[in-house]
Amino acid sequence: MEAREWLEQEVSKCVYCGFCEAVCPTLHAGGHRGYGPRGRINIIKKIVRDGEEPTPEALNSLYTCLLCGACDLQCPVGIRIAQAIREARPLVNRMAQERGLRITITPALKRT
Amino acid sequence: MVDPLRLGRMLADNTLRHGYPLPVDPQVITGWAAEAGLPQPRPGRPVVFTGALYQLTPYIEALVELVGRFRDPRIPSLGLRLASSLPWSSELLLTLLETPEVARGVRRAWGILGSIARLLREAGMRPAYAWEADLYSGIMLYDLGMDEEFAQQAQRVHKLLRERGVEKVITLDPHTTHALRDLYPRYVDGYGLEVQSYLEVIDPSLISTKGEAGEVTIHDPCLYARKAGVVEQPRRILAARGLRIREPQMSGVNTYCCGGPIEGLAPRLSRRIAETRLSQLERASKTIVTLCPICNANLRAAAGGRGDLRILDLAELVGNA
Repeated sequence: MEAREWLEQEVSKCVYCGFCEAVCPTLHAGGHRGYGPRGRINIIKKIVRDGEEPTPEALNSLYTCLLCGACDLQCPVGIRIAQAIREARPLVNRMAQERGLRITITPALKRT
Repeated sequence: MVDPLRLGRMLADNTLRHGYPLPVDPQVITGWAAEAGLPQPRPGRPVVFTGALYQLTPYIEALVELVGRFRDPRIPSLGLRLASSLPWSSELLLTLLETPEVARGVRRAWGILGSIARLLREAGMRPAYAWEADLYSGIMLYDLGMDEEFAQQAQRVHKLLRERGVEKVITLDPHTTHALRDLYPRYVDGYGLEVQSYLEVIDPSLISTKGEAGEVTIHDPCLYARKAGVVEQPRRILAARGLRIREPQMSGVNTYCCGGPIEGLAPRLSRRIAETRLSQLERASKTIVTLCPICNANLRAAAGGRGDLRILDLAELVGNA
């Protein structure tokens, strides 16, 4: 199966329950839910399924994932979340090159 | 303000040209093995493969520190743009990074690697070392989504090891273990290496009980705990040396990341995560054992030189008995 097809299948399983969020280190420190697994999965959904161009903040979200896999253990429908985010990066890299997108990582942090 | 594509391009260019993500002298990577008295590969002997991660970590720490010094994030961004476009700029960057502190860090890494070699011998193994094949695994390229470049490096490393008759590889950190065991088979046709972490091949019952008594806590690296199933092995080695382990909040398969994987791309976010993890660990013990050089560096940076904490690699604690 092609990476894009696998990715589309994987992210479409998300039922928005948010169980993954409790364990995500970047969500605890990041400025909004885009820094959590549920946010990232739905950003990928927008990119691969709906063909949307990622916004700068969507890119911040995708590239700040630690790929630590803590979320994978929480997902009740078994989405391989960290793997999905990793597999989205080559697609986004290609998209950035083809469309001349500039990716700069300036993550929003939670106010302390 | 870091562009992952530019960062990845610089790392990839150096990795494919020099074998490492920075153009370091290969002696920095391999010198420890001569000190440890490891022989060249011989039939039937496992080969220790560092993937250069322990030795390169002091450079990564220095780079993160250098980037963090600029209040205006456009300056390191400009530097990265230069580094990814001019052939000599990586050498210039390396010159900036080669400080006495980095030299001390490399010396410490050599000490850790030598201690691991001693542990392996103590457990009855006779490891060898393939000088010319101990290149960077390319794992950062994979993480950044640079699959073509990662595949090239994987194929090169595999070829170099196989040309030297290597069949069994002992890895020393979770990232290199993950790359060689889980990822290379997907990117290298006819992949033929058996890969185990040193923590998996050491039989703790063969480890001498003499060592440092006391109480420690342990930080499980995400890839060891959740991908490789390496959780009990380090605990058994620590226990064999007489150390008592106090589990931190979130341990084993439920471990909490140190923030290390994004320290280059998002240093402030990475630091906050490291501070959270450090506070969880220090509630269990003031002596924190790590199993990965990236975790060790990130947690030490979060500790900021606090004298009441000891953040040690497992080999530093148990490898010198």
